[in-house]
Amino acid sequence: MLNPSINNERPNLPDRLQLVALAGLMFIGTLFVYSATAANASASAGALFDQIWVRQIIWYGLGLGVATAVCVVDYHTLARWSFVVYWAMILCLVAVLIPHIGQTHGWGARRWIDLPFFQFQPSEFAKISFVLALANFLGRPDDELARPAVFWQGMGMMLLPFALIMKEPDLGSAMVLLPTGVVMMLVAGTPKRFLFTLGGIVGLLVMLALADVIFAPPKFRIPIHEYQRERLLVYFGRDFNDANATPEEKKLAVKMKSDSSYQSHQALISVGSGGLFGKGWCKGDQTALGYLPAGAAHNDFIFSVIAEEEGFVGSLIVLTLYAVVLFTGLRIAGQARDRLGKLVAVGAVTLIFSHVFVNIGMNIRIVPVTGIPLPLLSYGGSSVLCSLIALGLMQNVHIHRRGY
Amino acid sequence: MLVVDELKKNDPQLRLVALMLVIGFFVLLTGLWWVQVVCTKEYQSHLTTQAYRTIRIPAVRGKILDREGRVLAENRPSYNLCLYFDDLGDQFKAEYKRILPLKIVTTPAPFWRFWNRASVTTPKLAKLTASQKDALGWQARYNVANRIAATVGQQMGQTLAIDFKKFAAGYQKERSMPFVILPDLNDAQIARFEENYSTNLGVNLQMQALRTYPLNTTAAHLLGELKQDKSSINGEDSDYNYRLPDYRGATGVENTSDAQLHGNAGTEMVQVNSQGYRQSADIGNAPQAGQNITLTIDLDLQRAAEEAIVTNQRAAAHAAVVVMDVHTGDILAMASSPTFNPNDFAQGISTEKYAQLQQSTGERNRATYENYAPGSIFKIIVGLAALENGLNPNEYYHVQPNPSDAAHGCIFVGRRKIKDTAPPGDYNFQNAFIHSSNAYFITNGLRAGIENIIRMGKKFHLGERTGIFPSQEAKGDFPTLDQVTADDWRAGYTANVSIGQGAVSVTPIQMAVMISAIANGGTVLWPRLVDRVEPQDATGGEVAKQLPTALVRDNLNVHQRNLQIIRAAMLQDVANPEGSGTAAALPGLQICAKTGTAQVQDEDNHNTGHNYWFASFAPYQNPKYAVIVMVESAVESGSGGKISGPIARDVYKAILQKSSEKLAMKK
Repeated sequence: MLNPSINNERPNLPDRLQLVALAGLMFIGTLFVYSATAANASASAGALFDQIWVRQIIWYGLGLGVATAVCVVDYHTLARWSFVVYWAMILCLVAVLIPHIGQTHGWGARRWIDLPFFQFQPSEFAKISFVLALANFLGRPDDELARPAVFWQGMGMMLLPFALIMKEPDLGSAMVLLPTGVVMMLVAGTPKRFLFTLGGIVGLLVMLALADVIFAPPKFRIPIHEYQRERLLVYFGRDFNDANATPEEKKLAVKMKSDSSYQSHQALISVGSGGLFGKGWCKGDQTALGYLPAGAAHNDFIFSVIAEEEGFVGSLIVLTLYAVVLFTGLRIAGQARDRLGKLVAVGAVTLIFSHVFVNIGMNIRIVPVTGIPLPLLSYGGSSVLCSLIALGLMQNVHIHRRGY
Repeated sequence: MLVVDELKKNDPQLRLVALMLVIGFFVLLTGLWWVQVVCTKEYQSHLTTQAYRTIRIPAVRGKILDREGRVLAENRPSYNLCLYFDDLGDQFKAEYKRILPLKIVTTPAPFWRFWNRASVTTPKLAKLTASQKDALGWQARYNVANRIAATVGQQMGQTLAIDFKKFAAGYQKERSMPFVILPDLNDAQIARFEENYSTNLGVNLQMQALRTYPLNTTAAHLLGELKQDKSSINGEDSDYNYRLPDYRGATGVENTSDAQLHGNAGTEMVQVNSQGYRQSADIGNAPQAGQNITLTIDLDLQRAAEEAIVTNQRAAAHAAVVVMDVHTGDILAMASSPTFNPNDFAQGISTEKYAQLQQSTGERNRATYENYAPGSIFKIIVGLAALENGLNPNEYYHVQPNPSDAAHGCIFVGRRKIKDTAPPGDYNFQNAFIHSSNAYFITNGLRAGIENIIRMGKKFHLGERTGIFPSQEAKGDFPTLDQVTADDWRAGYTANVSIGQGAVSVTPIQMAVMISAIANGGTVLWPRLVDRVEPQDATGGEVAKQLPTALVRDNLNVHQRNLQIIRAAMLQDVANPEGSGTAAALPGLQICAKTGTAQVQDEDNHNTGHNYWFASFAPYQNPKYAVIVMVESAVESGSGGKISGPIARDVYKAILQKSSEKLAMKK
């Protein structure tokens, strides 16, 4: 299955096209994290080290270091340790649910473990360890994959972190596990009947969850946070009303609706007002005037800042860079030495693509607002590290694509 | 392409994944195209609506000047002490944190801190419900505002308190606008403030042009009142977010010339942030100052007229004086008593003061806005009508004595007896005129016929407005020809009209027009108050506009001989010792006048008061000035000549002084 032209290349070189796109994304990330925080006086004051864009550069540096380390060791060796990492992450996900260990940084969700130097977010790392562990698990021979027990074990591997992350709650991070798992099973060659079952189960889960959140009376609802329910209701355009609410309650509900829809509304205004060519770097009114919440602009809503300041052209550049990263990832999957390599690459691609799709989609209101970062562009240590580790894994598969 | 080639020969599952990615990217791209390119206008306008506020900036009102350029109304800078919310955001936050209740929380050591297992107690912010937070926020803001007001007040030696309701309304509705703590500081306060404060404390002075009338009550009715009105006028933008205080003229010249005086308001565009605080501001279009108005009023005569009322009557007297140029129609003075101070309205009059003003009826311009029975001064019209219809002025008429009062005459109309103030005896026109004989004029009025009297009155446009203050002018009562030819019109009515009682009432301004027509040889003029309209800033390239003078409304078309007879009789009324207007006699000026004392009757024919008239012009040769004086009195206190005559005399004195000064200046 080796391409003759590739045979002539020198071995052990990373995929250079992907690296170029990666560099482009990190450059854009630095520029716009700076732009998003420049207007905020308290964020842009103080020492250089305290400035958010400088920290983002530091995270990029750290992430590149970790990714290089990941590339050096053959992915087969990494895969052997994958279950250890997976279960360690499951432990962290459990630990995060325990008060005093898990910390909330706004939103009322318990997602972080505060380390002296770093706010550690286990769900981010759980996603990447899940990809590696599932790839390792599905990397077995075809006849084993056809066994129901193996399929259900795979399902279990997906649903365990899904349930734990849901419990935090972090709806967005939990949801991206589903397409990643499904696609990996598909590519692994799981028999069709299992895939249909899987599709059915996932579909049913999503439908039931939505129906419950939106229509069920309070007693029978899944215990998710009120703000999450509001966001979903906003997306589906419904009031927060019970049928027999008093006028005062209805009024309050309308107000709540406008408050919850505030972020997504402002994101939409940012993106839309950017027009074709944008307003220029650091010239976005929405950020400067604080309509785009200062806490979210450099974070989950970084795309709004880019789209407002650079317009449709900027959006197009960002999407193109992601497309390059993801399609080179698929090429790496196609060239992989074995099924394990292919699954690792496909898993990483799907994981990143899910983030990109959901994050950009929520800026233009084609998906509900869920707190999910845009890989490599959003500010945040855990997110940047995990995205770079995922890319490191792809490069690892690429570098070690030849036989022994 | 390399990527696609690889996928082609790969397994179908990978191709499916690639297809899904392509579809995903396509969806995002279409969505972005739709939002950023197709609908971008819509979102840009959303952004503008939420981030910009427009403020209406009123223009500086034009000045009002007298005919010699002396200022009657102008503007002065007024400084308001204001809070600027946009500079207070940090203070609000700090105060909120300070007053936020605390809760002591004991946190056990985190599991990984094995070296120190001691638990930590920290004061944490208490959890509050949304409404508690809201109340606390208001408390914090109000605290900050009050603290600033107290410090500033201390520095300025004045206790300042902020009304919470006003503060809340200001913060909620006009956050990007200055909030006034203390309006219109005096000079000492401004100096103290400037000494003690720099501008960055969230409190500063805001300048505003305030209308001021430097002469206070002088010409108050003429100049008029302002009312607070910040609404857009024709041709202006109407969708401002905020409007600074502005004024419109409610009465007087401020009202009739408002279109020229108010100028064009400008627009300030203020960019606000998500908290509604001001971020930046720029002037969209600058306001254009209003134009200056030069009146026909002569300030010296105006003052003389007002002082004449006060010295001869009293400040609270109900009286009016009109001085008019008989050839041009220029109103040289127009006084009404009691008066008011228009500054009160510009600064916002207190309810107490306003109630007082209404009690005294001081707002009413008696020169134009009140109907008065003319009494004997109407005999000018009756006499003219009789002369035009063949009355021989030298023919004598015998006035019979009143049976119950032999010293005075009387006349019987039907069975009704009408008393005469003149003694019985023989009267020709001039004698009858200066003694104001009721019997003579009733007899000749009846002889001429009511229709001819009405026709003559119509030529003077009685019963119609002179147009000087469209919203503040009474038109008087004057019967129509139809009314007097109807079957129910009786001779008694004609007798009443002949002596200026009954169905006739007039305004002083109408009488000024009438006397002018007698004096100028029969031309009925439109009275004129505004002489010139000119730009405030002469460099603007706009030129002054001179309004036409001596606008003719009508011509009497009577024999000049008859007018001369009337004028001669009027001269005798003052000059002849037997005349009724001798109290107005002034050496050096030949004054011609007719006096009048009208009884005011209510519906039950009970006397409720008297109107004392003095209708005059001067000089006899080459008439120039018409002076009308009218004094209302609830009790009978004399005659028109004795009550109003001296007021007219004082006005003529001022006229004489003025012309001698002018002569001196020419030399």
